[in-house]
Amino acid sequence: MASDDGKPNFEQLVDEHQSMVFSLAVRMTGDRGLAEEIAQDVFLALDKNLRKIESPLHARNWLRRVTMSRAADALRRRRVRGIDLWVEIDEAHVAQGERRSSPLGARVERLLATLPEAQRSALILRYQEDLTPEEIAATLDAPLATVKSHLQRGLKLLRAKAAIQLKEYVRGA
Amino acid sequence: MEPDDFDAMDDFERELRDAMQRRTAPAGLKKKILLRRAEGPKRRFQGPWIFQWEPATAVLAAMILVVVAAAAGFGEIFLMHQTQERRRGEEAKQQVFVALRITHHALEQMNAQLEERNRNSK
Repeated sequence: MASDDGKPNFEQLVDEHQSMVFSLAVRMTGDRGLAEEIAQDVFLALDKNLRKIESPLHARNWLRRVTMSRAADALRRRRVRGIDLWVEIDEAHVAQGERRSSPLGARVERLLATLPEAQRSALILRYQEDLTPEEIAATLDAPLATVKSHLQRGLKLLRAKAAIQLKEYVRGA
Repeated sequence: MEPDDFDAMDDFERELRDAMQRRTAPAGLKKKILLRRAEGPKRRFQGPWIFQWEPATAVLAAMILVVVAAAAGFGEIFLMHQTQERRRGEEAKQQVFVALRITHHALEQMNAQLEERNRNSK
């Protein structure tokens, strides 16, 4: 993972984290094309800042933080331009050989899309990345209490929506 | 999830976590990133440092330079104007002193003549 000087190697970082970066971006924006652009920009920014990256863990946290920030910026730009925020994810456009998300996964993503952005960010980091509230707070640069509140409210809202729309999948809703 | 209980996950949260596994990145993503990375330096103009700035930054820098230059120019003009005014003031003051000296001298002469006339009449 690390090069001779102990610093992470760029291509290896792309290999290892492209799935994480792309997944965060696509779940935040709901637009595969935009998510791919964000992922490219994030990795190019990583390349520029590679000298400051001290370890593989630092690289992963940096990528999470910058991806969430870039995705939020992209959503803000779209809002300003008056473009519909969430583009329906067209599963037919998923390239061959690419793992398709499960039917439940696709429906969960659609439900997530209906949540407020702050709640969505917190839930994505919690359940996709398996982060603790403290780690989410550090990633989003937000107070811990705020993150906990977003998690609780987001989960409650998602649970209520899932109870209506995902009855056949969800046992605990 | 109960309030402040973020360690334990219930069934719904576990299913949510399973449903939100990371997606596989598009097949060509790495290639595109490496291509853009390789193109990056070529796209930039390799001239003096100031020309490597983004156009917006360069325009802003130029505007700041113009404002600073204009402020310096106005400052210079203001200082020159002040110096000229001070010099004119000094000249006017000197002229008043000369006029006062002349008046003083004339009054002394008149006084002397009056005293002499008084003495003669006595």
